[in-house]
Amino acid sequence: MSQFRVLYRQFLFRAVDLELISKQADSSTLIGQFASLPIFVSMMLTLGGLFVSGRGMKPEAWQALVWGMEHFLIATTMLAVGLFAVLSWDSTFPDRRDVYVLAPLPVATRTMFFAKVAALGSALGLTVVALHLPCGLVWPRVFSTGGFGGWLRAIGSYWITMAAAGAFIYAAVLAVQGVAAQLLSRRWFLRASSFLQLAAFSVFLSVYFLEPSWSTPAALSAPENQRMLAMLPSYWFLGFFHALNGSSQPALDPLARRAVTGLLLAVGVAAIAFVLSYVRTMRRIIEEPDIVPSRRGWHLPITAGRSLRAALVLFSFRTLVRSRQHRVLLAFYLGLGFTLVILLIAAFVRRAANGTRIPEMALGAPLFISTLVMMVSVIVGVRVMFSLPLALPANWIFRVTEVHSPTAYVNAVRASLFAVAVIPAWIISGVLCFSIWPWRRALSHLAVLALWGTLVAYLALYDFHKVPFTCSYLPGKTRFNIVVLGAAGLMMLLIFGVQYELRAMSNPLAFAGLLGGLAIAALLARWRTVKFGDVDREGVQFEDLPPPEVQVLGLSRDGSPIRG
Amino acid sequence: MLELREVSKCFAGITAVDQVSFCARAGEVTGYLGPNGSGKSTTMKMITGIMEATSGEIWFDGVPIHRDLMTYKRRLGYVPEEPQLYPHLTGLEYLVMVSQLRGLAPTLAAARVVGEKIEGLLRLFSLHSDRHSPISNYSKGMRQKILLSAALLHNPDLLLLDEPFSGLDVATGLVLRSLIQELAARGKVVLFSSHELETVEQVSTRVVILHRGKVVADDSIARLRTLMEIPTLEGIFSQLAVEQDTSAVSREIADLMQA
Repeated sequence: MSQFRVLYRQFLFRAVDLELISKQADSSTLIGQFASLPIFVSMMLTLGGLFVSGRGMKPEAWQALVWGMEHFLIATTMLAVGLFAVLSWDSTFPDRRDVYVLAPLPVATRTMFFAKVAALGSALGLTVVALHLPCGLVWPRVFSTGGFGGWLRAIGSYWITMAAAGAFIYAAVLAVQGVAAQLLSRRWFLRASSFLQLAAFSVFLSVYFLEPSWSTPAALSAPENQRMLAMLPSYWFLGFFHALNGSSQPALDPLARRAVTGLLLAVGVAAIAFVLSYVRTMRRIIEEPDIVPSRRGWHLPITAGRSLRAALVLFSFRTLVRSRQHRVLLAFYLGLGFTLVILLIAAFVRRAANGTRIPEMALGAPLFISTLVMMVSVIVGVRVMFSLPLALPANWIFRVTEVHSPTAYVNAVRASLFAVAVIPAWIISGVLCFSIWPWRRALSHLAVLALWGTLVAYLALYDFHKVPFTCSYLPGKTRFNIVVLGAAGLMMLLIFGVQYELRAMSNPLAFAGLLGGLAIAALLARWRTVKFGDVDREGVQFEDLPPPEVQVLGLSRDGSPIRG
Repeated sequence: MLELREVSKCFAGITAVDQVSFCARAGEVTGYLGPNGSGKSTTMKMITGIMEATSGEIWFDGVPIHRDLMTYKRRLGYVPEEPQLYPHLTGLEYLVMVSQLRGLAPTLAAARVVGEKIEGLLRLFSLHSDRHSPISNYSKGMRQKILLSAALLHNPDLLLLDEPFSGLDVATGLVLRSLIQELAARGKVVLFSSHELETVEQVSTRVVILHRGKVVADDSIARLRTLMEIPTLEGIFSQLAVEQDTSAVSREIADLMQA
């Protein structure tokens, strides 16, 4: 096998961190489970494409629907590729392990470079294909200008546009990364990288959820919208698609030109920065340590914290703060929460702008909603992070030192969730509330928020018998449908809750009822988590898959396994 | 006393440890030897309680370890073969975490004692100046010293040392050699596994030699020497556990290189 193929294979499989995987699972299962999410989205989109029809619709309405769908598909592709680019951020350049393993071998830098580029290109291509495989054949029928030839042309235009939009986003991320690697020293680049990742995450999510929906020629050619359109690449590629599809209109031509210019510019800058960075990064890794020893600064006294609880709280906090992988994933959850907050506040502001009368008491609604939603996002995000391991082989220390009852571990984990998620979110909300509202109102809302946080934290910890970051993780075990339904239910509850809280603020009896109701709900959630957790029977969990009930004998005949 | 009674471990039909029985007594250093893949580390993991035996029992001080695993773990110090540590923690943070996990400091006064112990161990192992650096920056030898400190912190009655000399510099190696004997003299049970036969010969009172998962020798080194009429432990080991003619293999390798 040639050097290129060997390296290509290695780099492609390293796009996913195999160390997270459960011992009894294999890499193909893991990759299959990662790929299943875009394929699921694609299947849902395909169903829509199969049944959509313009019969009985006015031509303008039909055109708006079709353009809206085209824009949605392009924007979704850009979001998926953008998230992939952020998640594979660390595998873009060779890391310390690559350099130390490969540098002593007679492998040319250009072979490594091209293998890396090919692996990244393949991973990117797989992301786009997984997202569009069925719907990339169904929707072009709707977008075609007519006839079989039109359908074929629409299919070609569709795939070229999606590939170009994905390439643009990926190249843009690469260009930012490459330029930062050129301008900063390696040490500062590593530090800045995590912030750049967080920024990219926030930008992609915010733009996707908040960009305006303009799907008519009038909206796209309106002078007041041109400034905004010049900054929204998903609309550039809408114009690009129509130019390829032969269905362009004057309003879309400038956008198509901008797409081509943007794509060439992003790819050009990314290519130059990537080539330069690649060569320089290899040299810098050898010359500089990743982390310079920090001897100065404040350190926690040795005697601070003496219990199992202190050990797990500090371990959880340090892991979240110091693990880039966990930080980025947590930022994803916070970004989702933040986006939801913006959407809710935007709806509120629009209502106010339309002249709808808003009661004086309801003027504080945006802050009510923000604090409650962010509390949920932080708790859910941290709870999910607790499930993702760090340095899995090092978890032996928790097994060897398991000298407390499993219940003590579960209690310590609960304390960790409160210390790392609930309390910080509550304190930040407190600062905000006290700086905006009179103290009485701030205090009332903080009481509600504390009970709400307690309730959500106990619900999140139900059946969680793991020490944070120490149990192997098998993606795909999560019951996604239940999670989505649960999240939707929680949000509905939250919106009703905010409305009720706003009304109850002026009525002490109603407010006491609200607090009482929340307290009872929190107590019930606690009782359910503690009572039915049954941790003492099951013990603390360090492996996601239980040992097999049936022991495989592994019999073989002439070196080949015997199958039943 | 640590006692293994016909302990076996099978992985998917492959027997890694086969009916192993031996005792390691207090006040003695028991060397646990065997070629690569003979089942030494698997046995060690079973003795720690991390891994369960497929059959057989492990007893410590007259009680099966799984009857009260928590109490047993309180008395156990373990240095694993691979220096797996949390790289994002500093050396000091790691040791403090281990002390907290073991519940060594229920009161502030006890915490002060443990704190002094940690500082002392870091100083004696020459890690004090790097105690605030992340473990990811440590060399293999420094990581090994952290593992040793974590194993000694709670003054265990049973010490399981799996390749404890791996990566250590000469001075620390000499310290560890004396320390193992000192701890045994103070009544600890010490079971240690190593490929450095010269060290094992100098440190151990008795040896257990494992080959293909089975015990092929379990006696004092002096008695084995007399019985087998071989003057060195290396010779005894070669006789019992090395199947190939080492000179012939080395010649073959050299020939292969030149082919």
